Amino acid sequence: MVNSYRPKYLNEALKIRGEKNVIPLAGGTDLMVRFRNISGAIPKFDKPVLFIGHLDELKNIEIENNFVKIGSSTTLTSLLDSENIPSILKSAISNMAAPTIRNIGTIGGNICNASPAGDTLPPLYILDAKIVLSSIDNQRIIPIDKFIIGPGRNDLKDDELLTKILIPNKKFNKEFYKKLGTRKAMALSKISFAGLAEIEDDKIEDIRIAFGAVAPKIVRSRTIEQEIIGHNINEINELSYSIVKEYSEFICPIDDQRSSSIYRKQISIKLLDYFLNNLDNI
Amino acid sequence: MNEKISESIVRVDAHTKIGGQTKYVGDMKFDGMLYAKTVRSLHPRAKILSIDIPDIPDGYFIVDKNDVPGKNRVKILIYDQPFFAEGAVNYIGEPILLVVGPDRDIISQIISQIDIEYEPLPAVLTIEDALLENSPRIYGQDNCFVSHEYIKGEPDDAFANADKIIDGEYRTGYQEQLYIEPQGVIGIYENHRMTIYGSMQCPYYAHRAIAEGLGWSEDKVRVIQTTTGGAFGGKEEYPSLLSGQVAFASLKTKKPVKLVFDRDEDIQTTTKRHPSVIHHRTALDSNGTIIAADIDIKFDAGAYAGLSDVVLQRGMFCASGVYNIPNLRVRGRAVATNTVPNGAFRGFGAPQAFFAMDMQIEKIARIIGINSLDFRLKHALKKGDRTCTDGLLRHDVKIPEMMSRIEELSDIRDKIKKFKSQTGRIRKGIGLSMFYHGCGFTGNGEEIIHGTATLRKYPDSKVEILTSNVEMGQGALTAMRKIVAKSLEIPIEDVIYENPDTSRVPDSGPTVASRTTVIVGGLLKSAADELKQRWNEPGEIEVSKTYHHPKYIEWNQETMHGDAYPTYSWGINVVEVEVDTLTYEITPKKVWAIFDVGVPIDERMMRGQIEGGIVQGLGYGSIEVMENIGGKIQQGTITDYTIPTAKDVPEIVSEMLDNPYEYGPFGAKCSGELTLIGAAPALAAAVENALEIEINKIPVRPEELLEKMEL
Ligand SMILES: Cc1cc2nc3c(=O)[nH]c(=O)nc-3n(C[C@H](O)[C@H](O)[C@H](O)COP(=O)(O)OP(=O)(O)OC[C@H]3O[C@@H](n4cnc5c(N)ncnc54)[C@H](O)[C@@H]3O)c2cc1C
Repeated sequence: MVNSYRPKYLNEALKIRGEKNVIPLAGGTDLMVRFRNISGAIPKFDKPVLFIGHLDELKNIEIENNFVKIGSSTTLTSLLDSENIPSILKSAISNMAAPTIRNIGTIGGNICNASPAGDTLPPLYILDAKIVLSSIDNQRIIPIDKFIIGPGRNDLKDDELLTKILIPNKKFNKEFYKKLGTRKAMALSKISFAGLAEIEDDKIEDIRIAFGAVAPKIVRSRTIEQEIIGHNINEINELSYSIVKEYSEFICPIDDQRSSSIYRKQISIKLLDYFLNNLDNI
Repeated sequence: MNEKISESIVRVDAHTKIGGQTKYVGDMKFDGMLYAKTVRSLHPRAKILSIDIPDIPDGYFIVDKNDVPGKNRVKILIYDQPFFAEGAVNYIGEPILLVVGPDRDIISQIISQIDIEYEPLPAVLTIEDALLENSPRIYGQDNCFVSHEYIKGEPDDAFANADKIIDGEYRTGYQEQLYIEPQGVIGIYENHRMTIYGSMQCPYYAHRAIAEGLGWSEDKVRVIQTTTGGAFGGKEEYPSLLSGQVAFASLKTKKPVKLVFDRDEDIQTTTKRHPSVIHHRTALDSNGTIIAADIDIKFDAGAYAGLSDVVLQRGMFCASGVYNIPNLRVRGRAVATNTVPNGAFRGFGAPQAFFAMDMQIEKIARIIGINSLDFRLKHALKKGDRTCTDGLLRHDVKIPEMMSRIEELSDIRDKIKKFKSQTGRIRKGIGLSMFYHGCGFTGNGEEIIHGTATLRKYPDSKVEILTSNVEMGQGALTAMRKIVAKSLEIPIEDVIYENPDTSRVPDSGPTVASRTTVIVGGLLKSAADELKQRWNEPGEIEVSKTYHHPKYIEWNQETMHGDAYPTYSWGINVVEVEVDTLTYEITPKKVWAIFDVGVPIDERMMRGQIEGGIVQGLGYGSIEVMENIGGKIQQGTITDYTIPTAKDVPEIVSEMLDNPYEYGPFGAKCSGELTLIGAAPALAAAVENALEIEINKIPVRPEELLEKMEL
């Protein structure tokens, strides 16, 4: 017999999390699929379930000290409806699943699931998002790229919950997001590309680039970004050959049932090239 | 009912289905009912050396080949497929045994402890492999379940005199029906009788298969169709296998037994549309007129013959498309491979054949430098012409009218030119496809079946329709009621039509081949006409009608000569797309469609068929990718096998042309399958137009466009 817990408050949830070996369940849109059972039978969880999707403390979006703070159980739909969410993250979310799944699936779930095809991840990486991990008597804040350690693997401790996502409140005047799925809705990414830049007087003040679904983890290289920053956009055409070459080393996609490695690699490079060469008109 | 027959009414099943009240087999429960789950082969071809069953708790059972009292073969066309594997398996997913019991979690546990030892044998996994000289023989001498050939005119002479010969090879992939409701049946053994409830198209197919499997006389078996949540051909022959399995399970356990598939299981192990390789060789004279064609069709049948013979024949009888080609040789083979058996799917061999022919037509027009629309029109069939099998087209063929209307609506003639030599990121393209569908069974099928339909008038003036044809979402319950109500001039509410129960209804043949409205509806129409004459007779009145082809039909099955179908429905589709050259994503922007289905029995239901068929066809042509690698379906889940969603559907403009068929009820011809055929080739032609490349394979994937354009 598998138990489940439905605490009223976050504190209670953290207490249960500290004492019992449980699986946190927010929207359940990943978990219900992962633990599906044979036709007509209820899902087969191997551990007790801790419900956290209903906790109000995990569902608000606030602006504080130049950060947007997002509760981990905020649904994808609520993020789309909020004025405070960076538009590149909204672009990604509006291309996820379909309204029904977005009404129940959460941002915390998408992050913890740690799929290389998780669509909120590339925007969160380039927004320099940090995440807050809480246990009953501790809290740590780490950058998202430190939290995700491999496909389906994260750095969550047994007594922790992801409670908040912090996004620095920085504006960019250029952004480009593209998701490629096998169809226009309800499709997992074959590739996703997220690019942000701040251009002033044709000078690249800041640029950030991430690729999803083309490597075991999201690809972002601060080193390469630093090499681009400071250049004039007119110089990009010349530079782009070497930039593309540098990124190529990190883009190591697989052949699978959704696409081919060649397609993923080539199109990732084309998207990068397109972003770099259109900084003046996107 | 006094309105014109085509005037739309609210479908009789609309409210209960939309309201969620309709019960499907998955919702049904019987006292003491047990559940069954199938244990399947993990190898494409292997001997089963041993099956190790754990100790199982009381009340749980294993049901396998030893529990088949009659013949362990599913009655389809030939008897080659066992209900349960007998010492060997021939495809991944082949059923070996059922675990049956009250608790599905315990069933899962038992299954996880069953250990099957195999000795893998060399397997044949593709059409090409199967036809190699030295490949393993998995069926007969040549790995073909059937080979057919027919000849019209003098193709050899014509090729010898040709000015130009053009070759093309075309490939089509799998397509999965993906009906919303997965396969499901319940078997109930009681008092030496077997009752089966199931989601199916052909209650009498299942009925006979069960009787033979049990070794019982047919009158001890009863099959009741449960409301069927989609089928598209996937519930034509396949439920016969499952019905047999639950019958044996119920006989053994003496309890009702329910078998409902998981979605993944359904995608991975049930019949699909046959992948094909079609070779065209076309001979032209010096005027650029087609004088002959040699067409070689190969369908991947999978591990068992199933319905492949007749699917192949329909494909062969569509091989030369809507074009009048005087000299023709058409060869067809249904090739055996160690893969999941393929079967019926809306279109039934026609979509593959029309895709190949349409692409070949585009190719020829390109090579000889003539506008493909004119080239098509120049060769289009007309009344009085001979069909590919030398049958006579006795009825009006309105291709010229349909063509000028679709040109007017879509502006295709100008757009084709305008879309040449584009340079920007987004390229537009437009393409056209012309096609037909032969109404009813292929060849002499209807004459073998002789379907019977009955009307019964009760003393309270209600009239019941008794046929074995089912509602599977297409609207049969409404269409048949309309035909009867209109003929008798009574309110539609006075017409009763229950889901068929073989203990109550005659065998009117299966619900397939776009035959229900035109053939069985026709029988009901003539029964109603007679009943109207006898309306005032006292007591209950019953009128039955049995189908016979119109007298004019001549068909020789041996030589495949004559009228393969009593009449044809026709269609022209135009698809406009945008291709993003950054990513090679294809976005259908708009579809125009014209159909000649005689007279539609209900205009809105017909539009439902048109829009559904077109969307299913667009999926077939683009995003419905299914590959078989090493005998294993790669896109085996609903996550990975992607059919169009609402967001993938473009605007669809459709029109219907009146062209009444004298032998169809109120002039109706066939319509269900026709609507799927044209979208895929029109989409492929549109991509050719947009990118100025040649497409010879569907689905057209961005991955392959990238290769063609850049690598
Ligand atoms: C039909 C369908 C379509 C989909 N389409 C997409 C898509 O397009 N793009 C995409 O990226 N994803 C997609 N998904 C996946 C899924 O919907 C998303 O990943 C969603 O954001 C998961 O959120 P959830 O709240 O439902 O997660 P859950 O299933 O509740 O949890 C997911 C994982 O995170 C853990 N978890 C959740 N919250 C916390 C927390 N606060 N602290 C610690 N651990 C936690 C859970 O234990 C579990 O391991 C799709 C899923 C379905 C069923």
